[in-house]
Amino acid sequence: MEDLMKDKIEQLVDYIMKWCLWQFHSRAWDREKQNEGILTKTMQILCEEPVELETPTYRCYWVDAVLLAKGFKSTYPWLAMMEKKDIKLLMKGLKDRIDYLTITGSLNKELSNPLY
Amino acid sequence: MRLRFLGAKHVIGAPMKDVIHLCHGPVGCTYDTWHTKRYISDNDNFQLKYAWATDMKEKHVVFGAEKLLKQNIIDCFKAFPDIKRMSIYQTCASALIGDDMNAVAKKVMEEMPDVDIFVCNAPGFGGPSQSGGHHKINIAWIDQKVGTFEPEVTSKYVINYVGDYNIQGDAEIMLDYFQRMGIQILSTFTGNGSYDDLRGMHRAQLNVLECARSAEYICNELKKRYGIPRLDIDGFGFEPLSVSLMKVAMFFGLEKEAKAIIDEETARWRPELNWYEKRLKGKKVCLWPGGSKLWHWAHVIEEEIGVKVVSVYSKFGHQGDFEKGVARCSEGALAIDDPNELEGLEAMEMLKPDIILTGVRPGEVVKKARIPYMNIHAYHNGPYKGFEGWVRLARDIYNAIYSPIHQLSGLDISKDERPTDKGFLTRRMISDVDIIEDETTPSSEQPYTGEYDIVSKLRGKIYSSSQKQEKEYIIGVVQGGT
Repeated sequence: MEDLMKDKIEQLVDYIMKWCLWQFHSRAWDREKQNEGILTKTMQILCEEPVELETPTYRCYWVDAVLLAKGFKSTYPWLAMMEKKDIKLLMKGLKDRIDYLTITGSLNKELSNPLY
Repeated sequence: MRLRFLGAKHVIGAPMKDVIHLCHGPVGCTYDTWHTKRYISDNDNFQLKYAWATDMKEKHVVFGAEKLLKQNIIDCFKAFPDIKRMSIYQTCASALIGDDMNAVAKKVMEEMPDVDIFVCNAPGFGGPSQSGGHHKINIAWIDQKVGTFEPEVTSKYVINYVGDYNIQGDAEIMLDYFQRMGIQILSTFTGNGSYDDLRGMHRAQLNVLECARSAEYICNELKKRYGIPRLDIDGFGFEPLSVSLMKVAMFFGLEKEAKAIIDEETARWRPELNWYEKRLKGKKVCLWPGGSKLWHWAHVIEEEIGVKVVSVYSKFGHQGDFEKGVARCSEGALAIDDPNELEGLEAMEMLKPDIILTGVRPGEVVKKARIPYMNIHAYHNGPYKGFEGWVRLARDIYNAIYSPIHQLSGLDISKDERPTDKGFLTRRMISDVDIIEDETTPSSEQPYTGEYDIVSKLRGKIYSSSQKQEKEYIIGVVQGGT
């Protein structure tokens, strides 16, 4: 079961890495905000929950999230079979994995530069 | 060690179109003007026609060159009375002697109130990285100029289009799409960009960023100082471009307008892209660009043009560029960071690519190795952005790989026997051997049918946007996000 979840997470990671740019902003703190903002909104969209668009920045997250959710759904038919509670678990695992690959496990030394 | 200067002046500063770009240094610093870079403009290419330098000599190094600079600034404005804006670029020589260029510029602006001058302190010895120069000029521009001019805002949807240098008209193609949606482009940073428009960047609602390598700094600062968010897009390739246009449209609630453009352009150009894709399937490509094309192209030339990327490299790309580029490559591609000539030659020998996409200088080495090469910095027959532009790229790759010159140039006329009883094979004779016309290869698929110049006709185009201005984009909460 755990392996199945891991495999699904890796499939979603592959999609993001190939088709998205938002996960590679230039500083670690920037990447944390991007990953949190976009993946949270993607989860809300996939689970049909309300999505906040209170600021222009939130709106940018939402734009990327809508297209990501659409890409996920069209590329991975198994997503439609999952229950919402499992989608939440999946997206939590995805967020952890993307955080690792782009922030905590990244070898990019420019991420810790205090200035832009 | 001139790269910081090059990265500031030639890549970012000089594409600004209505500006005298004055280099404060020995005339040799202006020798490599990069005026072959083809960052064209709609004001008769003013910025490409002239190169300006203060022509510092040894005596100025000893006694100072501030007087010389001041006289040159005044002379330039007198020589070009219609131009009221100037950028001055520091060089190693003027930086080492400590000329106070800001003070000189300030004095001239007091004496000539109708002119405005920007000072860029990015001398070559500042570092071997072009990218360092990009950084310097980004920050200098926002520190000195953004917020000093109030632009006329005529739309409810206002963006800055950032990180496009209008290579053979790339930016103008993208601006056409945005304007067809009813979006006002306050400034383009910096291709075909106007000095005063760029002073008014602070009034945009959104920064749409293409080349994050060269221009993310100003977007990040605009976000920090003015709260303007940044949306990264891909202007190359049908699918990434469609998604990008939709992203910008969604930000403003203009999805219908974007969809109409995407549908129209795809229907018009997809069959021609398919024609090339079938003939380029599996051809091996080394993608060796500067920075951003590493990741803008690595996946999509495989997906849409059919070629196989066997290697990526970049001399000036940052660690972040390699993160993006490697993430988008297929498995097995060889990534080389900052290669020297020998490493490039070794890669060519090992990978045996059918074509190498790179800049003009490594391109000369590639040609000597008798491998087809395309200039993807200044382009061959661009623009390459946009739907039609992507077909033009496929066409240029096809023309390069199948060019008959490779059969002819392989003969050494001093010793090889030259066949006189038959001619060379044309491109179609080689590329169409395995092509069978059936339902998967319909006759509607044909080579590129567009015009030679696809940019000039966009200049002066009138856009109807009154109907679209009735809408407000939503700030609040939506259910399920769609």
